[in-house]
Order: sequence, then C-alpha cells, then structure tokens
Amino acid sequence: MHTNGNPIVRVQNLHKWFGLLHVLRGISLEVYPQEVVVIIGRSGSGKSTFLRCLNLLEEPTSGRIEIDGVAVEATDGELLPESRARIRDLRLKTGMVFQDFNVFPHKTALENVIEGPVVVKGVPKDQAVEKGRELLRKVGLLDKQDVHPIRLSGGQKQRIAIARALAMEPKVMLFDEPTSALDPELIGEVLAVMKDLAREGTTMMIVTHEMGFAHEVADRVIYMEAGMLVEEGPPDQIFTCPKDPRTSQFLARIIESGRLV
Amino acid sequence: MEVTNAPLSPESDPDLAVGLALVRKARRVRLIETLKVGVVWFALLALLTFGLLQLRFDPPYIVQNAYFVLRGVWTTIWVSVVSIFIASVLALFGALGRLSRNPIAQGISSFYISVIRGTPLLIQIYLIYNGLPQLGQQLKLLGYPQLAQLLTLDAFQAGVLALSLNYGAYMTEIFRAGLQAVGHGQYEAAAALGMTRWQMLRRIILPQAIRVIIPDVGNQFIAMQKDSALVSVMGVWEITFRATRLARKDAKFIEMLLVAAALYWILTIVSSWLQSRLEKRMAHAYER
Repeated sequence: MHTNGNPIVRVQNLHKWFGLLHVLRGISLEVYPQEVVVIIGRSGSGKSTFLRCLNLLEEPTSGRIEIDGVAVEATDGELLPESRARIRDLRLKTGMVFQDFNVFPHKTALENVIEGPVVVKGVPKDQAVEKGRELLRKVGLLDKQDVHPIRLSGGQKQRIAIARALAMEPKVMLFDEPTSALDPELIGEVLAVMKDLAREGTTMMIVTHEMGFAHEVADRVIYMEAGMLVEEGPPDQIFTCPKDPRTSQFLARIIESGRLV
Repeated sequence: MEVTNAPLSPESDPDLAVGLALVRKARRVRLIETLKVGVVWFALLALLTFGLLQLRFDPPYIVQNAYFVLRGVWTTIWVSVVSIFIASVLALFGALGRLSRNPIAQGISSFYISVIRGTPLLIQIYLIYNGLPQLGQQLKLLGYPQLAQLLTLDAFQAGVLALSLNYGAYMTEIFRAGLQAVGHGQYEAAAALGMTRWQMLRRIILPQAIRVIIPDVGNQFIAMQKDSALVSVMGVWEITFRATRLARKDAKFIEMLLVAAALYWILTIVSSWLQSRLEKRMAHAYER
C-alpha cells in the first residue's frame, strides 16, 4: 500500500520512562509521505507521550527518531549532544495541534498564524500575512482574522491552532487528541478541516478517540496498549476483524459506549 | 456585562426597566456610602489641623516655603522612575536565573536575592555611596585609576543603584510568579513552532506575564517613591532632603515634614490612578 517511496518518519525502538513508570516500551514505526496514521487506545496507553516524543516536547529515554532526514537519538535517558542541537530542526519538520489548543491569547487570529513564519523562519511580514489569510480562509475563519482568542469558541480556537501549525509548512502534522476538549457540537468543524487536509495529501499522525473519523480518514490505524504498538492495519480490517484480542476488547468497549458510529 | 441586543429598550421590555432601576438604586447607595467616608476623612483632617493650630502650628511658614520642597518632587519621581526601570530588568534576569536549570545562573540569582533581602536598604546606600569610593582609593593606589573612577558615584547615581539593586531583588519573586503564571501549554506551543528560548520568552511568555506582573510592579513603584526618601542621607535634593534642611534651619519640623508627607501622599494617589488606567489598557486583548 505504500507507494510513496521512502518513509518520512522513522522511529526505532523508542522508550520513555517517567520516573519509575515505563510509558513507552520500544516503539518502532514508519510513516510514509501523504499517509494518515491514526493511533487509538485507552487513556494512559502512551499515545500522547509517543506523539510528543516525535517533536521532542518529551525527551525520549532511548531510541531513535528520524523525520525527513533529521535524526535524533537518545540512550540511557540522555539525548546525544549532536541530537540536542537538532531539536529545533526536528520541530521545524513537524506541526503540532494540542488538545487544549494553546493558541496565543495576546495575539489575534491572524497574528497567531503568522507568528511562526515571521519570528522563526524570518518570512517577510506581508508575505506571511498573505499566506496566513489564505490559511484562515482554508479553516473557515478569515472573517475572524482580527479577533483575539477569548472571543472565539473552542472549535474556532482549534482551527486557528491548525492554521498556525500549517503556516510553518511542516512535513508531518501531529494531532494530539484535537477534539477531546471540545463540546460535542463543535467537534465536527475541526474534523472537517482535518478531513480536508487528509484529502490534500498532508502527512498526518493523529491520536484520537473519534473512531468514526478514524475509520473514514485513516490509511492505517494503530492500536496502542501499555506503551506498545499492539496491532496495525487498514481501518476496515482493524475495526471489523482485529487480529489481536486486546484490540477487539478495546473496540468492544468503545462500541458499548456508542462512539463507533 | 453590557446589553448587546440593540432593539431592546426599557419601554418595550419591562424586565429591562426593572433591572435598570435596580442598578441605578445600587449605584446611588454606593455613592452615598462613598460620600460618608469622605466626610469622615474631612473631619479627621479638620480635627488634626485644629489640634496643630492650638500648638503654635505655623501655616504661613508652610505657604512661604512649600515651593522649596515642591521642587524636590521632580527629583523624587526621576529617582523612582529610573530605579523601577532598572529594578525590573534586574528582576527579570533574577527570575530567569531562579527558573533556570543552569547552576551558575541559579547560584548568582539566589545569592543576589539572599544578600539584598537580608540587609537594610540604608546600609546598602552607605555601602555604595561611601564604601565603594574607599575601595576605589585602594584600586587607584594599585594602579587602576579608571576602576577607581567607576566606583566613585555621585549621590544621585548611588541612590538609583541602591534602590534598583534592592527592589530588583524583591521584585524577582514577582517576575518569577508572573512567568510561572503563563500556562505550560504556551511554552509547548511556542517550542513546537521551533522557537528558541529567547524568542519564546520575548514573543509569547513575557507579553502574557507582564499583564500579571504590572499591578505588583505598580505597588513596588509606589513603595519605592517613599523609600526613595532614604537617598536624602546622601544629599540628593529630593523632597525629604529639602524638607529636613529647612526644618533644621528654622526649627519648623512639624510644618516641613507634613509638607513632605503630603507630597508623598499625593504622589502615591496619582500613581495608583495611573496604575489602574494602565491595567485597563493592557486588558484589551482579554475582553470579550
């Protein structure tokens, strides 16, 4: 199924300890350009930690991460010195969307979106504004460009956060439970934006509890439990005939709670 | 909350009419209470004046000499403004040091705070004004005349340095709390965009922290205006120095010290007012 050449994300034997807690237990994964990978699993399975390791918001205890040619490596709880110098390079390869949006409250919608390009990449302001407006139009918020986040709904804030991440032109978009903090009636507008991105061929890694959405947009679904990748496969296979009993157990519980629609 | 639905009016909406009447009444009650407090203030001032007049208090002397003290207000403000500015810079670096994981930065910062907070401001003033030149003399003998010159400060410079160092140490805690008040998610979002620590601080964290810090810095500024009276011991021609100079010459202590006290009082009232205006302006991005 991977017709897009070499993997753009390559994770090898990733481990993460929080104190005495072994949260990630040797994760290896490859993601290919334009692929949409959805990671599911119960709370505390390490999904978010895994995603946050990919842009070094959490420092891995050991293992290797390579994204579009930028590699970092850790052993014995420490990043190698030359890896430490590459943290920012790695972050520039990724865009992240957080559960709590984390939009900048002191900046307007447009200022949020152009902040990265102008400050980090040194893009001329007028160019960044042009691109920023384009992105705001894409997420349906061009009319809110001069509004501060306090006057926006959660769904609007999250769409701004998506536009802000896209503005950096990352190679991979990381979504860490992007709809978990939203009121139910606001989830759809965020998922719609993400579906558009998937259609356009954006490489995405998504941690979510929205199984219907996962089924619809994912090229590959991964079930994670206790810090390990238990099973992966195309959504039809994972959701209809999972091979591992742990996956089917998890999905059964989800279906009970009525979330697999 | 303001009423946003334009077509509503007290005529068409009886509820709104009742609400408006209640709000007006509450406002009237508050106004009357404020007036009563004002009357008490006035009575206290009148009582004080009456008592003083019985004890050969000399108002004409005040009228004749108030201007001499008044001319010190500018110096007091100038010393305080320069000092609060330098103190804020010191406090920012102090706070960054406290929050840093670098042992050198942490060590310098905690040492600075401990020494300054553990010693009296008056001693610090004397050390800087009288102590440093003494060291300078020795350095001159050792063949470093430029260093000696650097350590010999005039009264104004010494006063500003002492106040800045002193307040910088106290304000470090304010800045630390302000930086920590900005949510962790803001640091992460900035980091995820690939910002350096300095970009993060300047563009994302500080602008948000300053909003939290401003009221406390305002309070420190008001306190400093009064602590700046201590620099009079070096002969800086500010309010206190001018007042005590005349008071000693003419034995009019009550008169001149009350003038000085009144001037400080007015300064703090004006400063508080400016502070609240500044806070309102900075709240702009956070208003619905």
